[in-house]
Amino acid sequence: MRVTVDVKGEGTHEVDLEAPTYADLLAEVELSPHEVSVLVDGRPVPEDQPVETDHVTVLRLIKGG
Amino acid sequence: MIVVPESIREAIVADAREGTPREICGVLGGAFGEQRSRVDSRYPATNAAETPRTRYLIDPEEQLEIFERLEDRGEEIVGFYHSHPNGPAGPSATDAEAAAWPDRSYLIVSLVPTLEVGSWRWRGDGAFDRERVTYR
Repeated sequence: MRVTVDVKGEGTHEVDLEAPTYADLLAEVELSPHEVSVLVDGRPVPEDQPVETDHVTVLRLIKGG
Repeated sequence: MIVVPESIREAIVADAREGTPREICGVLGGAFGEQRSRVDSRYPATNAAETPRTRYLIDPEEQLEIFERLEDRGEEIVGFYHSHPNGPAGPSATDAEAAAWPDRSYLIVSLVPTLEVGSWRWRGDGAFDRERVTYR
């Protein structure tokens, strides 16, 4: 399936994979689940779940101490 | 270098003082450049960390809402700000470990031992470079 991955602050990627999980999408755009959150329709989704949409938003986390 | 309106500096410092002992945080919008950025707006956010006295975290849903507002105003993501109510003046070990935005500015307000406002660019691999802050 073809999925548009919108990495906020960087740009969009078109990813073509068979039955991917959200973690697979992140791997394709060379991001780690530890540094980002994946959102669909404005809500976070678990990275290990299968992708059921054609557009996802990826946010690098803003955190520290 | 990062150019910051004096009014935004004053507002962030006021929030940091009012928020003590918790850390406060937010997003800086404006014109982004890898070497020189200009701040036009600030977007305060809720500190969603479990231990907000020593950590900060912007919830991803709120983060997305802020980014959409920022983009609607024609701004870019310049960086982020947070406070250190009890120091240190520069990025902490936690800041270096958690940083995830290459080349963006991390502006830090430290309240002790004296008020200090500084800004650092995260260049990856845990490395922060201090940058000059100019007020306008």
